[in-house]
Amino acid sequence: MNAFRTALAVETRKARSSSSLRATGLLLAFGVPGIVAATIAAVRGAGTPEARAQLLAKMGPQIASADWNALVLAATQVTAAASVLAFGVGAAWIVGREFADGTAPALFGLPVRRSAIVSAKLVVHLSWAVLVTLTLVGVLTLAGLALGLGAPGHDAVLGLARIVALGALSALVALCAAVAATIGRGILPGVAVAAVSIVAAQVSAFAGAPPWLPLAAPAMWAMDPGAVSLGPLVLVVAFGAACAAVTVALWDRLQLAR
Amino acid sequence: MTETLLRLAGVGYTYRGGAGVRDVDLEVHAGEIHALVGLNGAGKSTLMKLVLGMVQRQRGSVDVMGTDVARAGPEVWANVGAFVEHPLAYGELDAATNLALASRLHGVGPRDVPAAVDAVLEELDLVRYARVQVRRLSAGNAQRVGLAAALAHGPRLLVLDEPTSALDPAGIISLREALLRRAATGAGVLVSSHHLDEVARIADRISVIAEGRMVGSLDPGGVDIERAFFARVHDEVTS
Repeated sequence: MNAFRTALAVETRKARSSSSLRATGLLLAFGVPGIVAATIAAVRGAGTPEARAQLLAKMGPQIASADWNALVLAATQVTAAASVLAFGVGAAWIVGREFADGTAPALFGLPVRRSAIVSAKLVVHLSWAVLVTLTLVGVLTLAGLALGLGAPGHDAVLGLARIVALGALSALVALCAAVAATIGRGILPGVAVAAVSIVAAQVSAFAGAPPWLPLAAPAMWAMDPGAVSLGPLVLVVAFGAACAAVTVALWDRLQLAR
Repeated sequence: MTETLLRLAGVGYTYRGGAGVRDVDLEVHAGEIHALVGLNGAGKSTLMKLVLGMVQRQRGSVDVMGTDVARAGPEVWANVGAFVEHPLAYGELDAATNLALASRLHGVGPRDVPAAVDAVLEELDLVRYARVQVRRLSAGNAQRVGLAAALAHGPRLLVLDEPTSALDPAGIISLREALLRRAATGAGVLVSSHHLDEVARIADRISVIAEGRMVGSLDPGGVDIERAFFARVHDEVTS
């Protein structure tokens, strides 16, 4: 436990100085509310009637009301896709940078085992993802107020809370990027797996995949909580835990033969 | 009797493709600097990797502080400092922060970290770079930070692979003096080099490795050790 605490302190300090994590987090936390606010503004009257019709066709008729529920629904849709990619990039960077920067050999011969170091990395990743999602929801709330939607109602508050849960679940799904970064010994393999994950999730959602698919379940639940039971969500947590366990095991047995 | 801090006996490791090391015997005692010299690709880095567990030996035994390397725990590794391939230093952090994190990872308590960092910054003449991000340092100064990371926790055994490769003459002198001071207080040092530089010349023992095998030793006080080195290597290559 002492070794883990030390590793957590070290990894937290590294993450605080990381421009990669900062840029990715800010892009998600401000980008999603920016896109959604622009969409709601467009639905409320900006642009031509043809453009508005195309927008409603893409985002769904539910956002036609251009109120808090529409804002939350649109934000959920965009967050579902963007968060898996952003958090996958984050996980790939946190784990893969040791190979990309050449520091992996220096993590041998230490009293703090590599399993403790990578466990701390995964905890830092999840904490960062939750912090980013909370910021996103905060910015989204401010955007709604700035659009003149008034105070959010009960359903909108529940929807905002679901976006936070969606972020946490996406961060768990994104742990598959940590596995890929470890096996591929670099950042890019993790980013590639994150990109494939998001495409697979989108395609399976469009194709009407069953909700127990871990890649698709968080988005389907956040959009329509009644459509997904607890089982698929537990499966998402199990998928994240399995990815974490595999990553830790791989780091524990890591060998640096050329 | 002098304590043996590192012992390799009959060690072998073969990479896919055939390169590696074979039948290596090597010891480092307390208070001793043991230099390992050889040409590029001779097997020096592989030996260092075997000592630190980066690759698992296929034959023989590797004991670090009297413990099989495969079973060595925190109490063993807290006494080891290493520099192999790349420094334990992150570009986005300044030199002092890197050294503080390295000290923590080497088992130094949070309260003792500032004193350990200040001392090693002074020792390797890095004080003026303490608040400079490592990515902004020259390759030589970044290497000095990596060496400081290996020294800061006061290890009893130092394993240094090509520690002078990017250092300027002043850096080499700083390192040489630091190693002599550590050895004088009982630390053991295994240092590799592909040429007989200033660090190899301060060694108590110089072993020559060629084509993955130990092929002899050199007299550190000899007048023409370059000639003797090439003679050993030539004999191995042509035998």
